Amino acid sequence: MLKMFSPGLWLVLLLAAGSTVLIALLPVRQQAGMEMWLFDANHAKIANLIATDWNRDHPKNPVQIHLITGAAIQSRMMSGFYSDTPVADLIEVERGMIGQVFAGPLADVGFMDLTNRLNREGLRTGINEPSFSPWTSRGHIFGLPHDVHPVMLLYRADLVAAAHIDMSTIETWDDYFRIMRPLMVDLDGDGRVDRFLLNASPTSIYYHEVMLLQAGGRMFDDQNHPTINEPLNAAIIARLATWYVGPNHVASEVPLGGASSMRLIREGYVVGMLAPDWFAGGIRSGLPDMAGKFKVMPLPAWEKGGRRTSVLGGTMLGITKASRTPEAAWAFAKALYLSPLTAERLYDEARIVNPIKANWNQPFYDVPDPYFCGQPIGRLYIQLAPDVPLRPSSAFYGQASQVMNLAIIQLCQYADDHQLYDAHALEPEAQRLLDGAQRELQAQMDRNVFLRATR
Amino acid sequence: MSPTPRRPLLRPATLVIYVALGFFALLTLIPFLWMICAAVKSKEDFFTSQFLPRGDGFLGVAWDHLNLHQFRRLFTELPVPRALLNSIFLASVGSILATLFSAMGGYGLSKFRFRGGKTLSSIILGTVVLPGALLLGPRFETLFHLGLVDSYLGIFLPAMAPAFGLYLFRQAMINSVPADILESARIDGCGEFRIFFQIVLPIVRPMISAYLIISFIAIWNDYITPQIMLQTPERQPLSVAIFSLKGLYADDYSLIMAGTLVSIAPVMLLFFLLQREFISGLTSGAVKG
Amino acid sequence: MKNSRLHSPWTPWLFLAPFLLSFGAFFAWPAIRSLMLSFEQTFGPKTTAFVGLTNFRYMLHDPFFWTAVGNTVVFTLAAVLVQVPVALALALLLNRSDLRGRRVFRMIFFAPSIVGVAFVAIIYSLILEKRTGFINGSLHSLFPAWDPDFPWLEHYVMPSLILAQAWLSAGFYMVYFLAALQHVPGELVDAAEIDGAGPWQRFRHVTLPEIRPVLNLILLLVVVGSLQIFELPYLLYNETNGNGPENKALSIVTYLYQTGFRSGDLGYASAIGWLLTLVLVGFALVQRRLTQKEEL
Repeated sequence: MLKMFSPGLWLVLLLAAGSTVLIALLPVRQQAGMEMWLFDANHAKIANLIATDWNRDHPKNPVQIHLITGAAIQSRMMSGFYSDTPVADLIEVERGMIGQVFAGPLADVGFMDLTNRLNREGLRTGINEPSFSPWTSRGHIFGLPHDVHPVMLLYRADLVAAAHIDMSTIETWDDYFRIMRPLMVDLDGDGRVDRFLLNASPTSIYYHEVMLLQAGGRMFDDQNHPTINEPLNAAIIARLATWYVGPNHVASEVPLGGASSMRLIREGYVVGMLAPDWFAGGIRSGLPDMAGKFKVMPLPAWEKGGRRTSVLGGTMLGITKASRTPEAAWAFAKALYLSPLTAERLYDEARIVNPIKANWNQPFYDVPDPYFCGQPIGRLYIQLAPDVPLRPSSAFYGQASQVMNLAIIQLCQYADDHQLYDAHALEPEAQRLLDGAQRELQAQMDRNVFLRATR
Repeated sequence: MSPTPRRPLLRPATLVIYVALGFFALLTLIPFLWMICAAVKSKEDFFTSQFLPRGDGFLGVAWDHLNLHQFRRLFTELPVPRALLNSIFLASVGSILATLFSAMGGYGLSKFRFRGGKTLSSIILGTVVLPGALLLGPRFETLFHLGLVDSYLGIFLPAMAPAFGLYLFRQAMINSVPADILESARIDGCGEFRIFFQIVLPIVRPMISAYLIISFIAIWNDYITPQIMLQTPERQPLSVAIFSLKGLYADDYSLIMAGTLVSIAPVMLLFFLLQREFISGLTSGAVKG
Repeated sequence: MKNSRLHSPWTPWLFLAPFLLSFGAFFAWPAIRSLMLSFEQTFGPKTTAFVGLTNFRYMLHDPFFWTAVGNTVVFTLAAVLVQVPVALALALLLNRSDLRGRRVFRMIFFAPSIVGVAFVAIIYSLILEKRTGFINGSLHSLFPAWDPDFPWLEHYVMPSLILAQAWLSAGFYMVYFLAALQHVPGELVDAAEIDGAGPWQRFRHVTLPEIRPVLNLILLLVVVGSLQIFELPYLLYNETNGNGPENKALSIVTYLYQTGFRSGDLGYASAIGWLLTLVLVGFALVQRRLTQKEEL
């Protein structure tokens, strides 16, 4: 018998026996209490503070905060919803992750329906209404909104002052590009402009949505039917194309994140940036040496008298149906999201504005911020909160953004190929491209049998 | 049969061949060397030199800059020990099950003539042509309905029917197990299982070793099966855990490299010790001996 | 082999039982189920709906599917053109009997196939990085004109994938070639040399025909393996779920995986799977037919 066992076989048998014993002795323990998953380090810091107090007051229902990557949240969350694998009680979900959750039958949405609770407890009216829209599917709200994320224009006050430009005369984008043009200079003498007026390019898919929503364009209507090829959308993207390409183009993109982007911002590669509150906060913490050089102002409108803000990003807190203690989870969610302490810390760390209207009269929002030349940017963002446009709640929001983005890229290519840089002249081609995008999106949406009920 | 031996002089042609081989060997080894150096370097040194940091030490290398700090981190702060245990558990138990049942199945198919034997053979060996990807979804569905998602058993049970293993053992037994021995053993009154374990298996011993290692390494390296099946992080093996590490610590190159080093060291060792059996097992089906 | 009367007719079935149980539950049944699933749409394994031929009709116009097909075909062609010659060349180099350290070289070349795709993906994601990556860094040191920011992973997706895969697999196939070469009868080669045949002619007329079966096998393995490429691009471009920049890294199986496990639609995933199976089986049959003609 022994002759049969070569050394390799012995080794493997030994490993098998040993590891089996160890695995049996060290079972994976199901943790008592509640679990919360977050992907943002700042949020986790704040959550841990609140959790410490909570755990002290609620020893029978403690909550454990876990910081994991967004990709891990997405895959574990969906696996839990699809196949009943273990999920947390509370999950913070970002704008880009929610689409998949809503892509099946309403009964299969893995989060608890909070609509009735929100109405009953007065939170529906107590929270900034536009903040609910991305987390609503077929009329039901599945999460507590984390933020408002109004968008303002963040600009280099030092460069503007040096050029003696008065920003208060700017009301529309046309005004902006006309009045700020003197700032577009060739810094290194190579004949090419090195400074642009806006941080955007044909591939900046997020900023396209910002512009579209500001200008009143929509990817979906109230019944979540796709409206990609609305004439207004064509007009908007034709105008965008003239900002991105052409010999006089005014916009160029600073890539998000990384060492090169910081360098470019310092050099003033772009004078103005589309800045939701989190972006302004990010600049403030990432470039401390640029204090006093930035200021914010409401976005120039598309048409005179038009909307002066938009929205970008968003996070919600959902309670999973798999939670064994939903009431405790709901209580903790409220403790975390409604608390003035949370609002203060969020503003402190990241300049993010809380969506709870009751928190808006907190004094820290009015404190002049030395980084932004003394502007009370919290208050400035809050003033725009009611005007924040609604984000689409369709499960196909991601796909819609993709096809729209592709159309814009193709339109810019068309403009370059035909040397055509006038917005009106580009509209027919824009319309044609959007018709194609609409057809493609419609085909994708038609395929999904579970969402047919909404259509 | 090997080619007739030439005289072992270092002729120019042979030298060229050595150089060519050496060059390719270097190309092949570079990623390994790079990884090992990265795992023991500190963060600052990472950006100054490709391999070992320059300094005043022996051979112009700053040996004092090297450290095992990352390894300590891996084993104390991060869930690597548990992932390592999971890998060992899945690979060792899995390969034993795969080998045992392939051998049994191969024996049943090769040494017995019975109704449906030929058809069964063709069906099983025919499934080799099906891409694994085709079965991922439905198999997951089946395991879900059996309640085996997120469990070790969900990995072991499907691993018990490897068509490739069946094929290898069937070949090996056809080639090396004579029917007369089996007959005489039966005549002597030996029970079937005794025949299998005491006569047949010792004959195919090389194939057992070979397939055991092949199986072990395949399971150890498998990323996608545990990634789909095991959702609880504490059950995940190194292949998945190291990848999550990369997600969380994307900028900490030395940590990631140390992690990958830990994840491949066991199989490299195994291979180094047993490469002859491994390779002969792999190629035995392809090249007539 | 005489059919023995001394064992019960159940004996072979007994030995096959564990294998067959697992095989039935986890191979045969899923294969059948996948055919059924291809006519359904699911939201995870819990929720299914019958949709008839919708999946197949959609596939015909699905831009992502065709991008994946294009990428996979290009990758496969490149894989064959790169890996097979390299593997054969290495095997030929190693085949000389006067070579010392053949075992060492063989181990070195074979080592990459031991380490698994996850390792290769992680290592190559760092090696191919701009500036700090090994390739850009060393090329820049050797040739200062080389742009240290050369965007391997951002713009040269296919070359990066082909390189990584070649590193991973060439040694594996080399071992097969080596085993085949060692079975080429030395007398035939010597006889050819005596007859005045040069090295290329010896190779073409003596060696090559002898190793034909293994060459065909390797070709089959490379093509079948490359058409199913998945983990390498998926892990290398993990942040985009395997799409890569502008979907240049998307392969058929990656798309299948995304559809089945991220979008939860096991039905469409199965439809894609069956299409892939037809292509693979088709290729295998065509190759069989061609090689049978050769042998005649």
